[in-house]
Amino acid sequence: MLARRYVYVFIGLVILLVFVAFFGVPLLWLLLAPTKTDSQLAHESPFAFGSLTTFANTFHKVINYQGQLMLTWLKNSAIYSFGGTALALLAAIPAGYGLALTQFIGRRALLAITLVVMILPSTALVLPLFLEASEVHLVGSVWSVILPFAFFPFGVYLAYIYFSSTIPKDLLAAARIDGAGEWGVFRYVALPLARPIVGLVAFFAFVADWTNYYLPFVMTYTNTEYPVSIGLQILIGSAPIFSPGTPGSAASEIFRPDLAMATLIAILPIVIIFLFAQRTLVKGMLAGATKG
Amino acid sequence: MPGTTAVPPVRYPPVEGLRVEGRRRDRPPAGSSPVAGYLFVAFYVALLLCIGVAPAVYAIALALSTPGGVGFGHFVQTFNFFEFAPAFEHVFEFEGIWLASQTFFVVLLALLVHTLKRRVSSAFRFIFYLPGAMAGSASAIVWLFMFTPNTSPWAFILHGLGYQVLPNTVSPGNLPMIFAIMAFFTGAGGWIVIMYGALNNIPDELIEAAQIDGSSPLQTALRIKLPLIRKWVVYMLVLSFAAGSQLFVEPQILAVATNGEVPPQWSPNQLAYYLAFQQDNFNNAAAVSVDLLVIGLLVAVLLVWRGKLFSVD
Amino acid sequence: MATVTYKDASRIYPRANSKAVNQLTLEIRDGEFIVLVGPSGCGKTTSLRMLAGLEPVDEGDIFIDDRSVVRLAPRERDIAMVFQNYALYPHMNVAQNLGFALKIAKLKKSEIKTRVAEAAKILDLEEYLDRKPGQLSGGQRQRVAMGRAIVRQPRVFLMDEPLSNLDAKLRVATRSEIAALQRRLGVTTVYVTHDQVEAMTMGDRVAVMKDGVLQQVDVPSVLYDSPVNAFVAGFIGSPAMNLIEGTIGPDGITIGSTVVPVPRGLQQAAGTGKVTVGLRPESVELTGTTAGIPAVVNLVEELGAEAYVYARLAHTVDDTRFAATPDFIVRVNPKSAPKSGSAIELHVKPDSMLLFDAESGARITGA
Repeated sequence: MLARRYVYVFIGLVILLVFVAFFGVPLLWLLLAPTKTDSQLAHESPFAFGSLTTFANTFHKVINYQGQLMLTWLKNSAIYSFGGTALALLAAIPAGYGLALTQFIGRRALLAITLVVMILPSTALVLPLFLEASEVHLVGSVWSVILPFAFFPFGVYLAYIYFSSTIPKDLLAAARIDGAGEWGVFRYVALPLARPIVGLVAFFAFVADWTNYYLPFVMTYTNTEYPVSIGLQILIGSAPIFSPGTPGSAASEIFRPDLAMATLIAILPIVIIFLFAQRTLVKGMLAGATKG
Repeated sequence: MPGTTAVPPVRYPPVEGLRVEGRRRDRPPAGSSPVAGYLFVAFYVALLLCIGVAPAVYAIALALSTPGGVGFGHFVQTFNFFEFAPAFEHVFEFEGIWLASQTFFVVLLALLVHTLKRRVSSAFRFIFYLPGAMAGSASAIVWLFMFTPNTSPWAFILHGLGYQVLPNTVSPGNLPMIFAIMAFFTGAGGWIVIMYGALNNIPDELIEAAQIDGSSPLQTALRIKLPLIRKWVVYMLVLSFAAGSQLFVEPQILAVATNGEVPPQWSPNQLAYYLAFQQDNFNNAAAVSVDLLVIGLLVAVLLVWRGKLFSVD
Repeated sequence: MATVTYKDASRIYPRANSKAVNQLTLEIRDGEFIVLVGPSGCGKTTSLRMLAGLEPVDEGDIFIDDRSVVRLAPRERDIAMVFQNYALYPHMNVAQNLGFALKIAKLKKSEIKTRVAEAAKILDLEEYLDRKPGQLSGGQRQRVAMGRAIVRQPRVFLMDEPLSNLDAKLRVATRSEIAALQRRLGVTTVYVTHDQVEAMTMGDRVAVMKDGVLQQVDVPSVLYDSPVNAFVAGFIGSPAMNLIEGTIGPDGITIGSTVVPVPRGLQQAAGTGKVTVGLRPESVELTGTTAGIPAVVNLVEELGAEAYVYARLAHTVDDTRFAATPDFIVRVNPKSAPKSGSAIELHVKPDSMLLFDAESGARITGA
């Protein structure tokens, strides 16, 4: 009996460690790869550590590649993501509040539609959006990326859940009796209480925007417009090791460690956010889950 | 919004949302004026119409407008493309592998992590969750390296399978599996966190009652915990299915990296893209987009409608 | 059926200084209904959970019959438990909830069915067997929780505040049902509650706990009439016993400025000095032959058959030291109840006075 229990515990532990390796090894590898030269990468053990000097060199090379293209891409990602997140918040927080705590004809229908478009993968709308944008000549403008980012039904739903579960209607009624108008009730009562949900929606919106690939892929055309998620693909395209036949690739000199470094730089903002947001995230998630 | 397979790391099921909109909530709250409600949702509704509804309507219109008037000509035409059927086959094969393995392993890992002490489990959860930061092209690049035998930490496995160079690994038959691994890598952690949260919401008393009733930890996991998180599992399945049908980034990156070894019309979304930008046939592109949109919408509407199913317990 | 023995059993919470349960020694007889009672945090629930195997026993031992169970998992102890929130499995219907333990024990399907049907009949649950817990009322859920315990035919029943989620009226009805059921089944039962009325009406014996320490265990009447210390005296009984300060002297006991006579034996045992005097509401009358303790009526609570007078002893009225002491409660005939605000005199019935050491609270008994 006791022996059997230990066998279970052992098996469980082995499974957990296998998956720690599955999820962790690629990240570890990504950290180590830029410390090596391309030939070291190909011939030494995948977990060998090169040198910090090589790491720094790789970093400078990636940053300075083709007139600091990497910085342009990062800047574009930042513009799209911050712009999209800001607008998404502006739309989602009042909308969640309106859906949860005010009454109007069509409220339930709007809620149902929100749920549907929330489940509908955003990628499904990308090409239709492009067709529409090209009709109104918005393709190539930052708005062709930012406005679709601003449409974030998942954020609306989060805000709706938050407002309807944490703010009692009596509280709003009290504010109205105290003489506050509709805007005053929102601005001075609901909004100050909504700080956690603002953070949560911003988190999800930002992560989704930063890692988005398909939308800017379709909407932007030039190196000066691309965000870093597409920049990475451009780099692969010019890396001879993966694309031996690509014209001009020999001159561009992007090697595998450079590619790893670029990837590392591209994901860094999100990793940092994950590190800092972990606690809030879990808390927010549990708050939602207890509702059931 | 996330890339093709990158499910946002944490999501709430829409279930509770549907439940609260019962009759009693239709009574207007004391003193709120209806106009205010419209003003609060105005910006969002504007976005919904311009970004959500208008493009869909426009795509449908484009797809239906044929030289001879309104008709299904573009649908028929695209349906007969030799890339059309394989693209959908590819994606469904990918979905089969991905959904089965994701469901099994996410539930298994969540149950395992849930047996650990809080501190320890939070470290595990973080490691599982972190690859979510690589959603999109970053994960595709990293896995390119992982699948290249001479740079991969997993070289011993690849060599064991007889793969010596990248094109061996990314052979057509392996692609669904490869994309499933990439999707699992970035998406599973978020779901594990969600399942863990759901497990944490099971009252301790219930687990203790099962213990007293004589059930072993394994029996408790299978007979009590698992049925109680079932609705989250269903939710994960449906959402992942919808997202997976839109697969784009990973095959696209692989197509670029292998210089055409992976065809640029591997998935339906790629096909639609190809029709729009390589063939400049917006009507045909719209037709394929509408096919995909319909799949996504069907799934979404089904889940929202069947949401009632969840509120039984 | 079985006996249960706690032997110096302690539970020490890591990082906390005090013991949640401190050297509990308690022998529970076969078939006995014993109630653990005390204020929250007294260790009663922890004691129960130690017996269940849900909390470890850090020191000492616990036996069911002659077998030490401290190393056994809960499922190896052959016990059944009724939880405060019932802990019904929400995804199973009533029949499945009742039969879960039997299914785990790999009983035959037909056997499970018979036993579930039997339990359902006893508890009047037959028409609800197909329902899920979410579709039941609080009282029905409580009965399912009971049923889940009795189908097991375990050696010991453990009940952790099983009535606390019911409304007052249902609680009283269920109280007697559970007690009757237990007597009928004859299964040794350990019952935890914070409600002393519940304890007194249900238990064959009642164990009073405070701060992890067992104070007294005895049949209800002995606890009421002969508490071992001021805590038990004040905890048992409703309304609570009046505990007031007095000074023992040669003539009796001085309360305020009134001297009340004390039986000789008791007076000798008490010696001289400060004591705590315990007087139940029925131990005092408003009329008497000797001088009474003067008091002022604050409030009269009329309950129909009886009335309670809440009074302030005259010497405590303007004295800030007594600001926090509760009113003195006297039970009176409602027909002769005084008006609030009126002055009364309290006369102690002979031989009804309890004395406790002013420091330790221990009971002082006469020779």
